[in-house]
Amino acid sequence: MRTLAWVLACALPLAAADNSLLIRGATVHTVSGADIAGGSVLVVDGKIAEVGVKVAAPKGVRIVDAKGLHVYPGLIDSGTQMGLAEVGSVRETSDVSEIGDFNPQLRAIIAINPASEHIPVARANGITSVVSTPAGGVLSGQAALVHLDGWTWEEMEIRRSAAMVLHFPFIETGGGRRSSESRRNVPFPEAKRIYDKKLADLRGFFESARRYRQAKLAALAGFRTDVKFEAMIPVLEGKLPVAIVAERERTIREALQFAEKEKIRMILAEPREAGKLASEIKARNVPVILGPTLAAPLNEDDPYDAAYTLPAELDRAGVKFALGTFANAFSRNLPYNAAQAVAYGLPHEAGLKAITLNAAEIWGVGDQYGSIDKGKWADLMVTDGDPLEVRTQVKQVFIHGREIGLDNKHLRLYQQHTKRP
Amino acid sequence: MKHAILLLSLFLPAAGADPPPLAIRNARVVTVSGPILKKATVVVKDGLIAAVGENVDVPEDAWVIEGQGLTVYPGLIDALSNWGIPEAAAPAAAPAGGRTSTTPRPAPSATPDPSAPPPARGPEDRPSNTSWQRAADLVKPTDRRLEAARSAGFTTAVSFPMTGIFAGQGAVINLAGEKAQQMVVASPVGQYLAFPAGFGFGGGGGFPGSLMGVFAYIRQMNIDADYYRQTRLEYEKRPAGARRPEYDRASEGWLESPRILLPATRAMEIDRVLRLAAELKKPAVVYGAHEGYKAADLLKKAGAPVLVSLNWPERSRDADPDQPESLRVLELRDKAPSTPAALAKAGVKFAFYTDKIERPRDALRAVRRAIDAGLSVDDAVRALTLAAAEIYGVAGQIGSIEAGKIANLLVTSGDLFQEKTQVKFVLIDGVKFEPAPETPPAEEVAR
Repeated sequence: MRTLAWVLACALPLAAADNSLLIRGATVHTVSGADIAGGSVLVVDGKIAEVGVKVAAPKGVRIVDAKGLHVYPGLIDSGTQMGLAEVGSVRETSDVSEIGDFNPQLRAIIAINPASEHIPVARANGITSVVSTPAGGVLSGQAALVHLDGWTWEEMEIRRSAAMVLHFPFIETGGGRRSSESRRNVPFPEAKRIYDKKLADLRGFFESARRYRQAKLAALAGFRTDVKFEAMIPVLEGKLPVAIVAERERTIREALQFAEKEKIRMILAEPREAGKLASEIKARNVPVILGPTLAAPLNEDDPYDAAYTLPAELDRAGVKFALGTFANAFSRNLPYNAAQAVAYGLPHEAGLKAITLNAAEIWGVGDQYGSIDKGKWADLMVTDGDPLEVRTQVKQVFIHGREIGLDNKHLRLYQQHTKRP
Repeated sequence: MKHAILLLSLFLPAAGADPPPLAIRNARVVTVSGPILKKATVVVKDGLIAAVGENVDVPEDAWVIEGQGLTVYPGLIDALSNWGIPEAAAPAAAPAGGRTSTTPRPAPSATPDPSAPPPARGPEDRPSNTSWQRAADLVKPTDRRLEAARSAGFTTAVSFPMTGIFAGQGAVINLAGEKAQQMVVASPVGQYLAFPAGFGFGGGGGFPGSLMGVFAYIRQMNIDADYYRQTRLEYEKRPAGARRPEYDRASEGWLESPRILLPATRAMEIDRVLRLAAELKKPAVVYGAHEGYKAADLLKKAGAPVLVSLNWPERSRDADPDQPESLRVLELRDKAPSTPAALAKAGVKFAFYTDKIERPRDALRAVRRAIDAGLSVDDAVRALTLAAAEIYGVAGQIGSIEAGKIANLLVTSGDLFQEKTQVKFVLIDGVKFEPAPETPPAEEVAR
């Protein structure tokens, strides 16, 4: 009897698996290539097995009839603290930063709370994976690329170490308009002195890490393992990119020079005044993670649309970029951040890439995610229209071919309050 | 009886021993109240101006100063100051009456000081209120800034305590005297109000923690003081059988203030304080007023006099050179010196004050910038002399060169606003003071 059941299970592998399906009759937006009208996507064991107009359904496979609907790759939010911070004002729910300036050994992934309420909310709008980044200090730790599905962080993991996060030092005189800037005013010479010291410390840290690596390679007597420097080895060997956070033009310029001098692979993160440096960024082939486009200008006299037009400026210069929301509760607005950029000059295709394929490529998983291509993982969403359009509804979301429920806190609140007599 | 005291006081020398009469002969005299006299004589006796004119008899015992080539002005008045109040000169004094006291705040410690008062919970606790404090009681002739002020031609200042929201009562003081009481010309002349910066949870705690709270507090103070006055009057009429009203020094201070001084730099702020003043039904003087060039009509309509700060906005030396400055800031910096001309044109009464300019001589250089921006020289002199006296109601005593007024005079080698003009001497209550040699700023010395 037992044997029989086993044999039966083997005979019907597709029918039993919940990560195989055929979506058919939809407009398939592959992102990597042309759209396919009336197309089908066959998913077998969580991976895309076939994409096209005529795709035969294997026996017993689940069929999703998506006539009149659209299939897109799942969206990737390239900047969040998903799972690390829940409620900003409740200190106990925030696990984003550690004490000290240099903590390259910290891995954000192990701190991720898979039960975060933000995750189902983001997922319901088609976001299937996010980059979760640590903050605090100068070298904050390692950012992770994770799926928004899983009972544990191990199940969520796509890349446990997607980048080293470096908050590049800058001259902080304070008196800024934004709440993130220090309110107290520090005289420029003093601010410069603090900055010089921080920068010297940073260079010193890289230098020490380099010597550590050489000592390790040479297997010197008395060599002692140091987790901090150990974590720096992939950075120094160019295996792990460094996401350098730099907001203003001066900081960005210095960050670019730093990366060149230290010979590290750089990703520029959260730049605001990057427009003027676009050609330089392009020349050095540095990919960029842009912060939210739905933002007020940085300086009082900047044009009102400074944040809206930045993606188009970078695109014109040929810079590769992806978008991040950098706010867990607003990760769901990721497609609208792209939409704002599209409304202000970014080609629609580039806007969609900034939240799908470009992100996958920048984070080193372009061969597995980010578009609807044979052999890639089936992170998909089915919608009734263009995801950059606010009125579009996400009908179904699949991660590794498994359908993910769209229930979330917003929906529950909506249902609760529509019941009010 | 009152008259007798008044008469008596006329004959009491204000500044110590009787100096002999003094005459400045054949000088150019800028009377301010009248026309400029090209070649006139000023006679000073008993600390007062005895006579001024082209044909004036010089007393035989007079000490005669040949005034050929000299110009005589009324002594300059710093219309809002803390000269003479030495404690107020402590370094890093809070900006224009900031809440932080001029004495350093003790570092926060784990165990709260049991003797410290609990944080204020509302206007009834009268936080940041020293409205009863009188500058006249605080002045000291030993303040080391007085000599520098005199050397720049200032003979008089309207000095105020400047700590808190209701800082206290100002006094018109002469900038010399052997004893403090000899310096005071008039007191009290007004209540200095400030809207301190540095709110919020870290601002020391307690009410008021916001600008909104400050305004509510000022309104409440006015209402409380009014009620206080009425209950006092009632009680004084029939004390028997009535509960005595509690003594409130804050209300006392508020009630005896003949006018209030309200801070406002931007046009919007000027509008705001004018509305507040109208609501409080108190005569108000607006101080600061760097954006007055945009609010001249508003000020004219309200009839409020203005004290224009001579500390024109500048880019901070501590600013980040790469930090972009907003157009708003640049415009204010560019146009602020045109405020006096705009006020003069609109017919608004205004006077100048030095506003923490470190070297008083720089104040005159700052006036020159206003002249370059369109202010007439006559109006500039008036704003440094008679206008201030009029604003504080002491024009009968000081502010111009007229017989009977206090002998506060400034004698220069020429036009006041020319760079090469030197202050020859000043007379304060008829006593002559020679200027100290101008010390170059510290950085130039170091070079």
